[in-house]
Amino acid sequence: MNPEAIIAGATLIFSVESFALILLSVLIGVTIGALPGLSSTMAVALLLPFTIGMDPILAISMMAALYCAGTFGGSITAILINTPGAPPAVATSFDGYPMAQRGEAGRALGMAAVASVTGGIFSLIVFIIAAPLLARIALSFRPQEYFALTLFGLSMLAAISGKSALRNLIAGAFGVLVSTVGIHLVTGVERFTFGTSALYEGIDFVPVLIGIFAISEMLNQSQILDVVRERVRSVAVRLPSRDDFRRCWATILRSCGIGTFIGILPAEGTTVAAIMGYNEAKRWSKNKDEFGKGSIEGIAGPEAANNAGTGGAMVPTLALGIPGSGTTAVILAALIMHGFRPGPYLMRETPEFLYAIFTAMLIANVMFLVVGLGGAKIFAMITLIPRTFLWPSVFVLSTVGAYAYRQTMFDVWVMLIAGLIGFLALRHGFGPAPFVMGLVLGGLIEESWSQAMIIFDSNWLRFFESPICNLFFALSAASILGPLVGPKIAAAFRRLRPRQDAPMRE
Amino acid sequence: MPAPSVHMVDLAVTAVIVALCAFLFWDTTTFEKVPESLAQNVQPTMFPRLLLAVIVVMALFLPFEHVQKKMHGIDLDSARSDWVRPITYVTGLGLLGMVIATPWLGTFLAMVVACALFPVLWGERRYWLVAIYAVAFPLAITLLFVAGLEVNFEPGIAGHLFR
Repeated sequence: MNPEAIIAGATLIFSVESFALILLSVLIGVTIGALPGLSSTMAVALLLPFTIGMDPILAISMMAALYCAGTFGGSITAILINTPGAPPAVATSFDGYPMAQRGEAGRALGMAAVASVTGGIFSLIVFIIAAPLLARIALSFRPQEYFALTLFGLSMLAAISGKSALRNLIAGAFGVLVSTVGIHLVTGVERFTFGTSALYEGIDFVPVLIGIFAISEMLNQSQILDVVRERVRSVAVRLPSRDDFRRCWATILRSCGIGTFIGILPAEGTTVAAIMGYNEAKRWSKNKDEFGKGSIEGIAGPEAANNAGTGGAMVPTLALGIPGSGTTAVILAALIMHGFRPGPYLMRETPEFLYAIFTAMLIANVMFLVVGLGGAKIFAMITLIPRTFLWPSVFVLSTVGAYAYRQTMFDVWVMLIAGLIGFLALRHGFGPAPFVMGLVLGGLIEESWSQAMIIFDSNWLRFFESPICNLFFALSAASILGPLVGPKIAAAFRRLRPRQDAPMRE
Repeated sequence: MPAPSVHMVDLAVTAVIVALCAFLFWDTTTFEKVPESLAQNVQPTMFPRLLLAVIVVMALFLPFEHVQKKMHGIDLDSARSDWVRPITYVTGLGLLGMVIATPWLGTFLAMVVACALFPVLWGERRYWLVAIYAVAFPLAITLLFVAGLEVNFEPGIAGHLFR
């Protein structure tokens, strides 16, 4: 740890302008998080063009604050109207909504807010300790090790949430392929430009991200226009009682650990963390029967885990340049657009930058506790905004956002095409997050691969000379084969278990 | 009747992916040749071709994936079992139309048309509310981007008339 850098970073954030922008991001984040269909990833992608001219520290801080608040925001509607505003809040609705039906919505919301903040702050402490350590290790990495690490990051797409590991990997590979469009850095040769000068510099992140997250979702939402949302009942949010804390402290602590660990794993997002947090809360609970019927532990578990996942996901993003989730992939793209190369050099050269982001996330966590407790009812009422106005607004914002970055209609076309392809691909199980991760990591993987091949004189067998490469290759193989072999191993264990439990013969 | 081992929809998806990869592979043959001394063993075609090969190999497993998934109770068809509703096609065409029309109408007018068109298309019948929204929202966005962020919108007809 570097106390001077921590103080310098915190100082960068302590200004009225920063606080106002973080508060604005928190308000937008909780609102977006509460609105079903609108995700924090989409919100961060839409925020990107607004931040282009801004100070990079403020820009990334706003995105990080939006990410934290958006993850929490989903729990409000999950509890009040059984409609998770965002995927990480799905597990919260299992027990949150039954509690709301029992008239305990205020208690459930209070626990969700406190567990979320605890998870968020815990993961930030881990972030402040782990990021410099990881970065220090990564500083010794040569191109071949960076290639192996990036390959591992991409291979983790196989384990990302979704029904098909194979489709995630294909989507990720297409993302990498799209990143090869434009001038080849080693030779200066045009690739896949089809004679279009606008493609010489490659396909820009901004319109692709907006298209794939916002436009494809708009088309998706047009299919469910007739869904009627429940009206919010009057609710007074209250802090958890001492008894609630006594029941949940172990669950919260456990979920903090789970969420942070899952968040740190490349590509694993907060949704996986929340579901694991819920399952573990149920497994270790003394009141398993209450789960699904309105257990307070069933809220504390997933909420602490999903918010711990946000800080955890920032660790590999900032320390290694490998995104920890779909949203952090967008934040990574923003860092690149602001002229930074995320990774160990960023940590070494400008540590105060990273600590400023850490401070912003910490402030955001405290802010959404206040905002969430005070304004849960108002945020829940946002779901009553007619979709007939909400989604056209998203389209207008998307179009203007895609256009504003380079002020060219070409980017608007890229956004539209990305949206249409994204919609069709999603119907067939190819998710947007793996594609975006591939797109963001594509440049890094090709660059490190090219450098290594130059060093190795095209002898790829020399990749196996490095123990670090071998470790990452083994981990990559495990994460790709895991979804295939894992269920078979689990089934084998299940077959063995009855024999162990069977009564012994006299 | 036993389930067929080849999933026909996924077979079509595979065919599309393989055809796309074949086209892109052909495109790599049109890349400029670089002398070895300049390319330093890394020809511009190497990485994309490797990637295309990996995608094709993975895509070949797609038509058979459903068998394994079904064994674990996962339905790969749940998201695509329903037909795409006509409103989605209309919305898609509307989006396309708006992007085509923007250079002619100008960004502001295109926003006004989009804000008036899509709510009505999606079933909104409170026309007074649509009218207010169609004017107020594009105005707010224009103020934010043009005055606040100094973005130059496409002028279109309206812009040229005022000029």
